[in-house]
Amino acid sequence: MRMLWNEVKKIFMWKMMLLLLFINSILYFLLIEFHIDSFPNGSGLYSYNVGVEMVDKYGATMDEEEFIDFKKMYEAKVEETNRYLQSREDFVAEGIDTYDKFTAYDWWNPSQEARALRDDVFLGNKIDLFWELQERHGLIEFHNRRKRVPDVLSDKERQRFEQLIEEEKFGVYTDLVIQNFKSFIANVGVAILFSVVLVISSTIIKDRSRGLLLLQYTSKKGRNLFKTKLLAGYIATFIIITSLLAVYFSVYSLNRTSMFFKVRVNTFIANESWFDPTFFQFIMICVAAIYLIGFIFATLSMVFSSRVPNMVSLIGIQIPFVVGFLIFGLNPLLPNMILIWTPKWLAPMSYGLMILLSALIVIFLWKREKKMDILQ
Amino acid sequence: MMLIILNECKKALTSPILIGLFIVFSAFNVFVIISSSDHKEELKMLNEIIDQYGRDITDNSLNRFESDIQIDLAKLNRMTASEFTSVYDFLDGLRFEDQEKYSDEQWLFIHRLQLKEMYLNMAKSIDESYEAMDIKKMGEAEIEKYLLSGNAAETLLHEYEKLSERFEEMVNNGEHKEWFFAGKAYFMHSFLFKTVFLHIIIESLLLIVLTTSLITTYEFESKTHLVAYSTKRGRKLMKDKLFASLAIATTIIVFLFAITLGTFFSVFDYSHVWKTSISSAFNWEYNFPYVAWWDLSVGTFLIGVIALVFIVLLLFVGLTFAISIAVKNSYISFFLIAAVFVLLWLLPSFMPTSSTLLFVFAYTLPTLLLAIRYSFMGSSGLILFENFEWMTMSCWTIITIVVGFMSYKRFLKIDIH
Repeated sequence: MRMLWNEVKKIFMWKMMLLLLFINSILYFLLIEFHIDSFPNGSGLYSYNVGVEMVDKYGATMDEEEFIDFKKMYEAKVEETNRYLQSREDFVAEGIDTYDKFTAYDWWNPSQEARALRDDVFLGNKIDLFWELQERHGLIEFHNRRKRVPDVLSDKERQRFEQLIEEEKFGVYTDLVIQNFKSFIANVGVAILFSVVLVISSTIIKDRSRGLLLLQYTSKKGRNLFKTKLLAGYIATFIIITSLLAVYFSVYSLNRTSMFFKVRVNTFIANESWFDPTFFQFIMICVAAIYLIGFIFATLSMVFSSRVPNMVSLIGIQIPFVVGFLIFGLNPLLPNMILIWTPKWLAPMSYGLMILLSALIVIFLWKREKKMDILQ
Repeated sequence: MMLIILNECKKALTSPILIGLFIVFSAFNVFVIISSSDHKEELKMLNEIIDQYGRDITDNSLNRFESDIQIDLAKLNRMTASEFTSVYDFLDGLRFEDQEKYSDEQWLFIHRLQLKEMYLNMAKSIDESYEAMDIKKMGEAEIEKYLLSGNAAETLLHEYEKLSERFEEMVNNGEHKEWFFAGKAYFMHSFLFKTVFLHIIIESLLLIVLTTSLITTYEFESKTHLVAYSTKRGRKLMKDKLFASLAIATTIIVFLFAITLGTFFSVFDYSHVWKTSISSAFNWEYNFPYVAWWDLSVGTFLIGVIALVFIVLLLFVGLTFAISIAVKNSYISFFLIAAVFVLLWLLPSFMPTSSTLLFVFAYTLPTLLLAIRYSFMGSSGLILFENFEWMTMSCWTIITIVVGFMSYKRFLKIDIH
């Protein structure tokens, strides 16, 4: 046990921790800050507000009656806008005295006055009503099209779409929240992947390049120390991922999306999925996936760490793996893993395969280490 | 002495993983180019246009072009037995089942006519769209977009005034009236100078930083430093290491450029457009055409950009060298340099939007490299400054030399154990 503790301590050298902190703060500003700072931004604010109001009022699901109520709200808001428009002489003079006329206006070829008026309500004076109505109108439009199935689909995708329609799981809540979370979690995944590789890669190679193996493998504990080193690597990986997730998720809490936690992922707009967890369960699935990715890449790092001749080769050989994963694997395996546009079993199969491969490699590595001629 | 340098080079050249990485990178670049070359045949249409009507777009050549298209249109009308004034009318009215009515040869003809009409329509609309451009207003829009105020806003407006003069000069010269691949259809400028160049740049950077830090810290990592640095050559070995790193970096850059650009230009036929101005109205991909500060042709621009990239990458050798001898650990140096690269690139976003520091801190090598397609351009947002390239280069050359020299001097004196 004491050995294990000492090996873990060796990984958490203060120099390395400083570098980890530096790199994570840069990655934070490069990748993550935007999804926290600018949420919700621009017209997203109205989208967010309407969404929150819907969840407060109707709960995690909306049935037909509740949607009729939602439409009534829209009508009431339209009335309010009509009163506003009629109170403005310039709009009346332009002939736009109701919201219906406002939307029916030919905005592709507006008169100069009309364009100025539109800019005034949307940009100049920023009348909230107009923005909000646009948002509500969009949601209602989407609801009207809820039973439509896209044209080009594979059989399985079509079945799933039809099944969702049958179960009356329609996208009614704004996609803003879930899209924001998906971008956030993908970038957190990138930051954690880099952090794990950064810290874990250099662990095993250090003793090797210092020639410590001669001493270590001839001691009483002997070659079993290799297993202790692997275990220490996994413990360190767990600590790094957990602490980084804690930090990043406490930053994420600034986005205030907890009211949506009970909403099921299929009830977000344009988020048809193979499974139907709640938003909170989906977050947990993503967290689990990040742990898996972290452990798989930690294994990879330790494998290379016990084989390659020097530090530069250690980095060099991992570049294709890490970059390849980021380009091809990250999106289907993390934010979009249960999305209908990713094959249903792609994520579970890929993770299963990668875990299996990692286990095999570790066993192979241990067998090799047991027999290896350490004088070479 | 030459022998030492050669042996230092060997340390990087005999690393199988670095060689493997180089091969993977080259193969990836070739793959990227080939996989987005669907339109390479279509591009040849422009070469034919240049052959027949000359590189400059004049009223005369446009008239000839248009009357030739009229002849083609007449042929199309005979073929379809109807009266179209444009091939687009025909294509819009086309029904799915009609497609089989025409032979492959006829389709080829129709398709070529479509391309010709596209180029003609674009050429005809140049004057109108250039007249509608108001550079100073664009500056104001930019200020609004980034919420600039105070000094920053003034500086930017001033530069936009200069750009506005340059823009008028360009229009008067007719630099924009030369044929180039239609930007809005093919995005060739972005593909070459963004996609392809950024691949080359990032890959070379990775390889250069790895080889340089490998060579510089080799003795420390293989525990032979106590011997190596107590020989007669001693710590001056670092100088040889610098030269070796520069030599290796040059080799990497030259080969990576040769392989990648070689593939690019054998796939895409640029033979007719080398002398076209880079500020051509056809080199217009997004909201605004590319407008260079000087009258550069596509060929000169390419050479200029290659030279720029080459020098910047060599500067990175110097910076890596300086950091590596200070840290004496290739692993940490690599991640430090990666982090500093991103940090320098992000610097302007940490600056207040009211001060000119916002622009000053954009004069960094990462910004220059990552915005390489906007080099020498006035149409590049917040880094439009005319002096951007040469100022960045000269400042950073000085910084690199000073840092490298200080780091070397320090190394001559420190304890080695």
